[in-house]
This record gives sequence, structure tokens and C-alpha cells, in this order.
Amino acid sequence: MFRNNYDNDAVTFSPQGRIFQVEYAQEAVKQGSVVVGIVSKTHAVLLGLKRNAEELSSYQKKIIELDSHFGLALAGLASDARVLSNFMKQQALASKMTYGRPLPIERVINQIADRAQWNTQMAGKRPYGVGLLVAGVDETGPHLFEFSPSGMTQEMAACAIGARSQMARTYLERHLSEFEGASRDELVKHGLRALKESLAQDKELTVENTSVGVVGRAADGKRKIESFKLYDGPEVSALLDASLESTDVPAEGGPAAETGAATQGDPSTAPGDSMDVDT
Amino acid sequence: MNHLPQAWGRPRDDIYGAYDHSYLQSSGPITHTQKPVVTGTSVLAVKFKDGVVIAADNLGGLRKSCTDLLLVNADIWVEASYGSLARFTDVKRLRSFNSTSVIGIGGDVSDMQYIDRLLNSLSITESHSSDGHILSAANLHTYLSKVMYKRRTDINPLWNQILVAGLDGDEKPFLASVDLLGTTFSSPTLATGFGAHLAQPLLRQVVGSEEDVPSITREKAVEAIKECMKVLFYRDARSIDRYSIAVVTKAGGVELKEDEQLEGQSWAFAETIRGYGTQVA
Amino acid sequence: MTSIGTGYDLSNSIFSPDGRNFQVEYAIKAVENGGTSIGIRCKDGVILAVEKIITSKLLKKGANKRIATVDRNFGVAFSGLIPDGRHFVSRAREEASSWRSLYKSPIPTASLAERLGSYVQMYTLYQYVRPFGITAIVGGWDSEGELEVDGQVGSGSKTGGGGKVPGINSGGPGLYMIEPSGLYWGYYGAATGKGRQAAKSELEKLDLAAETLSLEQGVKEAARIIYIAHEDSKDKEFELEMTWISKRDGPTKGRHEQVPKDILEEAEKAAKKALEGEDEEEAVAETMEE
Repeated sequence: MFRNNYDNDAVTFSPQGRIFQVEYAQEAVKQGSVVVGIVSKTHAVLLGLKRNAEELSSYQKKIIELDSHFGLALAGLASDARVLSNFMKQQALASKMTYGRPLPIERVINQIADRAQWNTQMAGKRPYGVGLLVAGVDETGPHLFEFSPSGMTQEMAACAIGARSQMARTYLERHLSEFEGASRDELVKHGLRALKESLAQDKELTVENTSVGVVGRAADGKRKIESFKLYDGPEVSALLDASLESTDVPAEGGPAAETGAATQGDPSTAPGDSMDVDT
Repeated sequence: MNHLPQAWGRPRDDIYGAYDHSYLQSSGPITHTQKPVVTGTSVLAVKFKDGVVIAADNLGGLRKSCTDLLLVNADIWVEASYGSLARFTDVKRLRSFNSTSVIGIGGDVSDMQYIDRLLNSLSITESHSSDGHILSAANLHTYLSKVMYKRRTDINPLWNQILVAGLDGDEKPFLASVDLLGTTFSSPTLATGFGAHLAQPLLRQVVGSEEDVPSITREKAVEAIKECMKVLFYRDARSIDRYSIAVVTKAGGVELKEDEQLEGQSWAFAETIRGYGTQVA
Repeated sequence: MTSIGTGYDLSNSIFSPDGRNFQVEYAIKAVENGGTSIGIRCKDGVILAVEKIITSKLLKKGANKRIATVDRNFGVAFSGLIPDGRHFVSRAREEASSWRSLYKSPIPTASLAERLGSYVQMYTLYQYVRPFGITAIVGGWDSEGELEVDGQVGSGSKTGGGGKVPGINSGGPGLYMIEPSGLYWGYYGAATGKGRQAAKSELEKLDLAAETLSLEQGVKEAARIIYIAHEDSKDKEFELEMTWISKRDGPTKGRHEQVPKDILEEAEKAAKKALEGEDEEEAVAETMEE
């Protein structure tokens, strides 16, 4: 049943010092549909590709507003994301209540990181099976964080996680230098194009399957913010039109780019790139 | 509110009649602090165009009617009264929190020490994230108001009135108060204890309203505070002439001096006062 | 590791017939794959430095600090599983805070190391947990000034009972390294992670036991050592993160802080130059051999 003796639980190290259960949990993230996040000097955007279980069912929510100044996009087990997002919502309210200030984003990220880590060091628990991109604006400006089941969190300039996300990351890396100075609209445009890169051959971005979340610093004053705005359904159509009207989208990202996305070989021989040892 | 800390939080005698001390029996329900013991009183603060000045004298006195049970031999306890003893004369009642805020505390000194440790712990936790966020004076005041209100709701109040002085999130002067009931208010001039009666009117002559603040210089604000500290020393038996003073500005951060001496005292006015002590006419 | 696969290595806290706890040894493997961390105990402070491997171009530059502050006067650097390091740091902060609430003063570095050693050791004892996949370097400066009591409001008696004896100072630098087994030692110079062997041999050349190296020199040495330790994984980019704790009248006033950008950049420049120099020497030596 198991691939080897070391992958039964999250409290067993392999002889190489890896924890397979945690690595398998990271695979669950790759089963989720792709989400993208980008941050500029003034804004942070989240974009997600929604999936429906069957033709007649609704689409799974990919982007959740956590407070007026930040939100998250998820890839993987949505119910695990709900637990974490409820926790973050509570923390955001507690910060407003106790100190009268918007919750600093890095701090709540560290809190969920600590919770996730604990699930990897205690028998009878399992790692979270979800990856998150958390984006928002606080008193120090816009931020984007990546959270993974191992409890690893990193602040990113741009990021994509989920199925086939390698193509989106390739797009992001190629356009990295353009993000910092990008306007709100340009940022959304880049995000949608990155998202599009990761689509399967026969798929397209539509008002049904695309979600966009935007939050930013208001033009006046460092403390004023442009509240988190979620575009879902018909509202997305204008954004889609704007992002796809010009045709300077790079056309590569064929099957060749798939290789990095799914390293699903035997974990005991695969390079430990999903571990949080910064080799 | 009465200026005497032991009367704080109680119904006023002149309206509700004397407090029914039968509620203070040692048997019966669990009780917490019923009276402060070692107390400080006045804290004064005033806003000016670039910041806030705050001051408090360095006295920790034993309250007038403070009685302690003293064991005189193996089985005899007697009550001893301290009168209004100026027991501790270098009690520092101003505390800087970070480079943008100072708090001044009146009331029970041991509760003040508790608050000091609480803030120390908060400031350590805050310093752990090097993410550039700092708690402004306004954030600090909100936090303290929750602490004080929680304790009052637990019927275990911290017997203090606290002034928070500094800069808010927009780096504008900030000044606000919270007391043992969790009551909060804000004004360009604030004072606790006896100072609320004696110094507040004098400070209001200098800064009448929020609109006056932009025209007040630092020198004028410091001078007004020093003058009030002097009046308090003249008129308030439970004060001394050594005090702490702090100025908070954006440019200078917190400038705190903890061992200042009242200057230019003149007791000539005392000659004209009649009607107390052994005087007959 | 001849006993691999015999079943004694499948669960934490189990001894093999030859007296080993394999799960702890495997945890050490995780450490040995991690970026290098070092600590240097100087005469007037302590320096911590880590080699942060850049795992993605998309990471925000200069963010994602890895060396954590505990209380105000300790730094913790670690190699291995980063989330485990965060767990370790949270525990360190709790220990420092509970010490304060009991004793009303900061915890000494030695006591902090002792408590953390005990905590890490607990994770080798039970089957329902796993050991920490990190080795941590804890650096601190114990105040050499008069120790204030937390919440102290006055200066106390000037004379007589409770009066103070002037001129008595204690305190100083402290540096400890805690391993996944819970074992810890005090060090003059400590290194862990992938490049530890190269780093150790460089640290040994510094004669740190003489306690003459200054904090300013230490910064330069730390940068140079991390660059040397990185030589074996040259194909990967890295960021150098460095923190320090000085004595009370030094640059950090007894607190743990990031080394200022300008000082760090200068040290990095010197480190790169020193490495180039070595390469040239080697090249010269090679040509002469020819």
C-alpha cells in the first residue's frame, strides 16, 4: 500500500531527512486548480481559475476576502482553507478590536505557519492539504505571501500555485521587472495572462471560471486603502476583455513547460525540491 | 470624579450617601482590590503643534486613611495608620513605550507596575517582527482601554487613571485618557487626580480647544505644564517638588527627564491664606 | 548506516540494538541539507549569519528574514527545516517571557540555551512526535549594566539594607548551538548546515578563544566565512543575512538587530574580493605546477 516504510505519518523522517507525508500534502496543492498572485508598489492582486465538479454544479470558490485590507486565494483542499481563513478573519477582527489597527499581514501569515508546522510534528494529525496565496495592504504597503502545507511561508513578488502552475510561474518570471511599477489595471492584466498560460489546451478564461481579487493603497495618504474587491461572475467580463484585447501575449508555454509542474516520480528518488530545506 | 484615588470608582457620598462598608466584609463573595494602597496622583498633559508634553511628580504616597494590620506580638493584631505619608519620593510615573508614545499613570503604584510589565511584554512581542509596524499612541490607548475595561468587568480593576501621549498613526499629536472603569476620553489638555481640579482649568486657559493646538509652541506648552506642577505643589498636600516630564515629537522622538526640580517657587501667597490649622483669624 | 531497513529506524524514541536513535540521526540529515548558519562570539558582542539559498526568482528580495529575535537581546539562527525553526523560536520566546514573569528580569543566555536544549530533547523521547529537523545557534548578550527589575518605579535605597554596591558588573556575550538530539554546547564560533565543515575550519583559524576579535572585525569574518561555505553550492544564488548583538555602549546597545545595510554591503564586498584573491592564488599555483 505504501511506497516505502517512511511515509506512513508526518512524524517519521526518511534516512535522507525528508518527511514524505508533508511532501504528499504538497502534492494535494498541485491537484487544486491554479491561482496567481502579483504585487506592485501600490496594489496586490489575486486571480483564480474556478472548477465545477460537474456541469450542473456551482463553481468552487477560489478567492476569499479576509478583511477589508486582505484576502486569500487557495489551491488544494478547500475545507482546510476554510479553517485557516476563519482563523485569519478572527485575528483580523481581534487586531481591530484590541489595537484599532489593520492586522499586519506578515504576522497572521506567521500564525498560520505555526499552526501548520505543528500538524507536521505530532502523531494523529495530518498536514494541511492546501496552499494559499495571501495578498493585502497594511501600514507598510502591499504584500503577497505564499503558504504551503509544510508550514513554510514566503513573501513573494509574484507567485502561482496549483495544477499546471509552472507555466504561469514562467510567465511571471519573464515579466517580473514590469510588476513593481505596474498600475492596477496592468497588474490585473498580467495576472490574467499568467492564469491563461496554465489553462489546459481546450480551456478558456470565462466569466464563469475566473475570479479576481484586488486590494491597494489609495492614491492619497499612506494609511488610506482601496478595500479588497472581489470580481466574480459578470463583473469579471470587463477585466477579461481588457486583458485579452491586445495580442502581445507571449505564445509559448506548450507541453514542454509541463515538466517542472508535476514531479510525481518516486519520492524517494526525486530531488527534494518540495522540502523546505533550502538546498 | 473625586481627586482622591480611594474615592475613584465609588458612588459620590454627597449624592448617594456614605458607602456601605458592610459590603467589604472579609467573609462572603470573592473580592478583589477595594482600595488603592500606595498611590500617585496628578499626571498632566497638553498637546502642542508638533507633539505632546506630559508630566507627573515623583511621589508614591500612602493614602490618608490607609490602615494596615500589624502583628505586635504572637497573637495581637493592631491597626496602624500612615496618615498621608509621602513614603516613596522617587517613583517614576511616566513610561515611554516606543519612540512615539509615553504614558503617565496616576493611582495605585503596584497596579502601575503591573501595567508597566504588561507594556514591556507587549513591546518585546512587537519588536519580534521586523516588518516595520509600530504601535502608535492611538493603538496603545485602544489596547490599554481594553485591558482596563476587561479588568473592571471582572470586578478586579487596575486602580489607575492613565494618560497616553504621543503621535497617532498619521504622526499627529495624540492625547487620551483611560481610567479604572475603562472610561475613555480625549482632549487637547488632560489631567488626573487633583490635577483634574486644579491644573485642568489653567491648562485650558492656554489651550482652550483642538483648534488652538496648531498655534501652541513647544516652549509655551512646557511652560504651562511647569507652571501647573508648581501650583499643584503649592496646593496639593500629596505632591512633591520633584517631577518627571516628557516631550514627544516626530522630530525628537521621546525626550524624557525623570528627576526635575520645580524652579522659582514663591510661598509669599501662603501669608494671605487664613482659616486652617492653628490660625484663628 | 547498516541498520537501515531493519525496522529500528521507523519510529522515534526507539533504540536500535547498537544503541542508536535513528530518527534523530535522520533529523540531522535534514540539517545537513540546509543552508549554512554560523555564530561568532566576539569580545564586545555576538554575530549570527546565514546563507539563504534563493529557491525562486519570484521571492521578494531582502524580505523573508530568517534570523529571529528572542526577548530583546537574543538572536536565533538555524539550519534545516525552516518551519521547525519557527517552532523552536516560538518556544524560545515563551521561555524568555515566562522567565521574565517569574523573575522580573531577562533570562541569561546560558539558561535560555539550557531550557531550549531540554525542549528539543523532549522531542526525541516519544513516539507521537518527531525530533526537530534543525540545529539552532543561539547568540545573546547578557547585560553588563546594573540589572533593572521589570516594573521598577524608583531607584530603591541609596544606602543600608537593600542599598547598592557600585561597580559590580557581570554579563557578556553568550553563544550556544543546540542539535536535534537536544545536545548543546557553548561555542566561541559555531557552524551548522551544508557548508559547516568549510565554515568550521575558517572559524578555527580566527583564534576566537583569545577573545580579542571585535564586533566590527567579526562582521567581515562572518561574511567571508559564509561566502567560503557557499563555494560548494556555487550554482545556486544566495542572500547573506547577518545580525548582531553588541554590548550596552556598542552599536546595538545590547539588543539583537540586523546588521545595517551599509556595513553588511561593505563586508560582502570584502568577502567577494577575498574569494577572488584566493582563486587567483590557486590559478597562479596551478600555472606554476605546470
